[in-house]
Amino acid sequence: MGNQGDFFQLLKKQGYEFSHQGNGRSFAGSDAPPLTTGTTVLALKYQDGVLVAGDRRATAGNLVMYDRTDKVLEIDRYSVLAIAGVPATAFEMARVLEHSFKYYRRSQLQDLSFEGKLRALSTLLKNNAPAALAGTGAVVPIFAGYDFQDGAGKIFFYDILGAEFEGVDYAVSGSGSSTIRGIMFYLNQWGTGPIASYSESHALTLVLRLLTSAAEFDSATGGVNPQAKLYPVVKRITAKGVQTISVDQLKDLYAEKVVSHV
Amino acid sequence: MYEEPYRWVEAVGNRRQYLDDQFIQGNPLIAISYTQGILLLTVHRGTPKLYEIYDRIALGGMGHPADLEKVRFSLLDLAHVEGFQRSPLDVTASRLTKNGVAPLVKQAFEEIFRAPYIVKILLAEVGKVPGKDRIFTTNYDGLFEERSDMGVLVARPALEKILQDEWKKRVIPETLPEAFNQALQFWGLASLLQADSQDEGEESQENKREGKAFPGPLPDEEVVHRRLQETLQKETLECVLLDRTVSAMETYRVLAGEELQALLPVWFQPAP
Repeated sequence: MGNQGDFFQLLKKQGYEFSHQGNGRSFAGSDAPPLTTGTTVLALKYQDGVLVAGDRRATAGNLVMYDRTDKVLEIDRYSVLAIAGVPATAFEMARVLEHSFKYYRRSQLQDLSFEGKLRALSTLLKNNAPAALAGTGAVVPIFAGYDFQDGAGKIFFYDILGAEFEGVDYAVSGSGSSTIRGIMFYLNQWGTGPIASYSESHALTLVLRLLTSAAEFDSATGGVNPQAKLYPVVKRITAKGVQTISVDQLKDLYAEKVVSHV
Repeated sequence: MYEEPYRWVEAVGNRRQYLDDQFIQGNPLIAISYTQGILLLTVHRGTPKLYEIYDRIALGGMGHPADLEKVRFSLLDLAHVEGFQRSPLDVTASRLTKNGVAPLVKQAFEEIFRAPYIVKILLAEVGKVPGKDRIFTTNYDGLFEERSDMGVLVARPALEKILQDEWKKRVIPETLPEAFNQALQFWGLASLLQADSQDEGEESQENKREGKAFPGPLPDEEVVHRRLQETLQKETLECVLLDRTVSAMETYRVLAGEELQALLPVWFQPAP
C-alpha cells in the first residue's frame, strides 16, 4: 500500500496519537482546578459566502484568564475552525487538522474534499471523547469552509463525541450561544429577510450586535472594547478563500451601527 | 566477490558510469533567487518535476519518476512531522537535505546489491530577503552543495560549474517577467550544453587527441532561442514561484495557463 496522505497514520508511526484518555473519573464537583473555557463563536451564511466570528475571552471558573484569544482559526485557504471548550485541546486539534490538510494536498497533489475535512475533525473529536466525558477536554467546534464540489460555503457544528450537523443558515457554540441562538432564529424567520440574503455590511453588523448581546448576558464572553482596540475575530469565506475582516472595518461598523444603538 | 576493496571500488565506478548515462536523456532544472522570491523552471515530457514540500520549500528533481516519488514522500513525511512537533519555522531545506535526502541516496548508491536512486534533487527555501534564500542540490551519490543565488540540475557535474560561473556574469532580475526570461534562456543554455556533452562523451577520446577543450565558446542567444522553440514544441514547460511577498505562510505558487503564457518573451514563437 502506497502513501495515502494520512497524517494521523504518519503521526502514529512516530509514536504520537491524538487521544486524550482521561482517568475515567469526572471532575464535576471535585476540588480540581477550573479549566479554561467560556466562549461565543458563530458562523452564518450571507449573500457572498460565510462569516465566522468569535469573541476573545478565555475564562477559568469566574476568572478572566485572557482577553485576546483567537478562537477563529484558519485551517487552510478554504476552511476555518471556530473553537469553544478547552483551548489546549482545541488548539491541538486545529494544529493536527492544519497539518493533515496540508500533508494530504502536498502528497496527493489535490485538495482534500470538504467531506473528508469534516470527517477528519469528527475523528479527532471521537478520539477525544474519554477526556471530554471526564470533564478535562471537551471541545464543541464549528467548522466552516468553501465546498468546491457544491460551489457553496458551508457550516457544520459538532457535539463533543464527534457527531456532525449541518447548520443550513447559521450555527452557534459556546457558553453565550443560547442567548444569540434565539435572536438568530427570530431574525431568520421573521426579520426583514433570511440572513443568507444579507449584504456583507449588514451581516457584519449583525455579527457585532450578536456578540455584544452574548457578552451582555454571559460573563464568559468578552464583548467589544473600542478603548482597548479589542474587537472580535471575524473571517470571511468565499470561493476566493479565507480572508480576515480588518479591525478598521469592524471599528467603523461598531461605531456607526452598534454602539449608538446600545 | 565484493569483499575485496578493489572490486567494491570498481562496482561503484561502474554504477557512476551507469547513472551518468541515465541522466543524459533528462531535462535540466534551474532555480534562481531574485527580488520577489525563487523561480524554479524545467521542461518535462508528461510527469511533473516540481513539487511543494512545505510552506517555504519546493522540490525539483531530475531522473526516474518512481525514485523521485520515493524521495518526495520521504521529505514530505520528515517536513510535516517536524513542522507539527516543533514549528513550521524549524523545517528548513538545510535539515531536509542533510538529514533527509543526502543520507538516503548516498546509502542506496553505495550499497551495491541494492538499486541506486536515479535522481538528482534540488531543494529551494525562500527567505524573507534574497540573501536569505537557500538552494541545495544533491547528486545521486549524496554529495550536496548549498548556494543562495541559483541552483542547477544537469546531467554532467562539470556543467554545473560552467553554468554557475555564467550566472555570476548576469544581472539579478527585479521583476517576475525578467526573472522568467532569464531562467528560460538559462535553461536553454543548460539544455544545449548537456546535449553537447553527450556528443563530447562519445567523441571525448578524439577531442583529447586533437586538444579540443569542452565546452568551447558558449552558444549565442539565437541558438539558445532555437533550442527552446524546438523543445517546447514537444515538451511542457513547468514553472513555480516561491513568493516571499505573500502575507500567508504558504509561498508556493504554480505559474500556469494565461499567467505563464503572458510571461513568455516576445522572441518566443513556436517553430513552424
